[in-house]
Amino acid sequence: MATNGNQLETEEQFQEIITRYPTEQRYIMPIMHDLRNRYHYLPRKALEMAAAHLQVPLSQVYSMATFYKAFSLIPRGRVRLKTCDGTTCHIKGSQTIIEEVYKNLGIRPGETTPDREFSLETVNCIGACAIAPALIVNDKVYGKVTAASLKTIIREYGGRENE
Amino acid sequence: MKMRIDGREIEVRSGETIMEAARRAGISIPALCYHEAFGGQGHCRMCMVEVQAGGVTRLVVSCTYPVTREVEVKTSTPAIEKIRRDIVTLLYKRAPDSDFMERLYHSYGCSDNTLHANLGERCIMCRLCVRACEEMGVSAIAAVSRGTDKRIATPYDEASPDCIGCGACADICPTGAIEVIEKGSRRVIWNKVFEMADCQRCGRPFATLAQLEYLESRLDRDVVKQRLCSNCRRKEVVGKVRRYNASLPFV
Repeated sequence: MATNGNQLETEEQFQEIITRYPTEQRYIMPIMHDLRNRYHYLPRKALEMAAAHLQVPLSQVYSMATFYKAFSLIPRGRVRLKTCDGTTCHIKGSQTIIEEVYKNLGIRPGETTPDREFSLETVNCIGACAIAPALIVNDKVYGKVTAASLKTIIREYGGRENE
Repeated sequence: MKMRIDGREIEVRSGETIMEAARRAGISIPALCYHEAFGGQGHCRMCMVEVQAGGVTRLVVSCTYPVTREVEVKTSTPAIEKIRRDIVTLLYKRAPDSDFMERLYHSYGCSDNTLHANLGERCIMCRLCVRACEEMGVSAIAAVSRGTDKRIATPYDEASPDCIGCGACADICPTGAIEVIEKGSRRVIWNKVFEMADCQRCGRPFATLAQLEYLESRLDRDVVKQRLCSNCRRKEVVGKVRRYNASLPFV
């Protein structure tokens, strides 16, 4: 059985989330938000069950799931790294951070480590230009990130270095 | 209610779209995503027209713009022609493999440009296929992803359990972007293989078994009892009418 953090991905769990909402098309988004909040991605089985529950074609649910960048169809890690790649962070070296993450963890933006511990994505400006380049780890913001401080941050979250 | 379109006065019902009223009056407005079976979708923007109402002139999408008061419409102005030319240019570059778009590109006199050509693509994202599939009551395909990556696909790009292989999507596609392979008694569409049923009269494979089963489950069984292709069904109806006429005493 697949796990994500401490959350079991079982059909019972999916059902519990999905049936909080009545059978109406407009609840596709709230359900997908709830799934995302719990699992950090949208499990395929859950989308199929949601479509069946709401009596909406799966193609439409899938269409919406792929439209929004906030939703991912592939599992995210327990530790989710988001590097800001807005203009300021970009100039201040966000590409270096992305490169350093790859060196340390072997993942590129949009990827997850095979053990589902870490995942990386880039986001547009998070409004923290004063402390660029910025990195968000599971909703906690780190500023003025360097190659050295990135190593510390990764270690802080239980990551082993690749070197 | 009256509406003036290209100088002609025509009668409109309130709430009717400009496109519908124009077509009824025999005035054609170019469009790529419009089909009279579905009404306006407002995707392609080719049907932009100039509307003058209450002293204000603006450009609107005629296939979704309902006429609710007396308006004056121009279906072609230099500004509109430029919009159409730009749309055709962009769509041709998006779908350079489409003969249909190539013809439009030349007939609109689009100028050469350095835009990236999306080689091998034929789809112009008009979404008529999605609408056709929806009307069939199946909805196996939809627009997936966003922006320049947007495309029409089945969920997870796999053979959809919902697809009945009817081919309505490929049939309505203006650019032939949907691949249908027919070989012997098999049809392959959207990564799914279907067995075909033969016409009871001429023996030609004419529909997928899945499609017939679907129709039988939704319609009165008698309607689809006879498995005939469209040609043979027409002949059958003609024969019936003829026999009926012959049975009438005064003909």
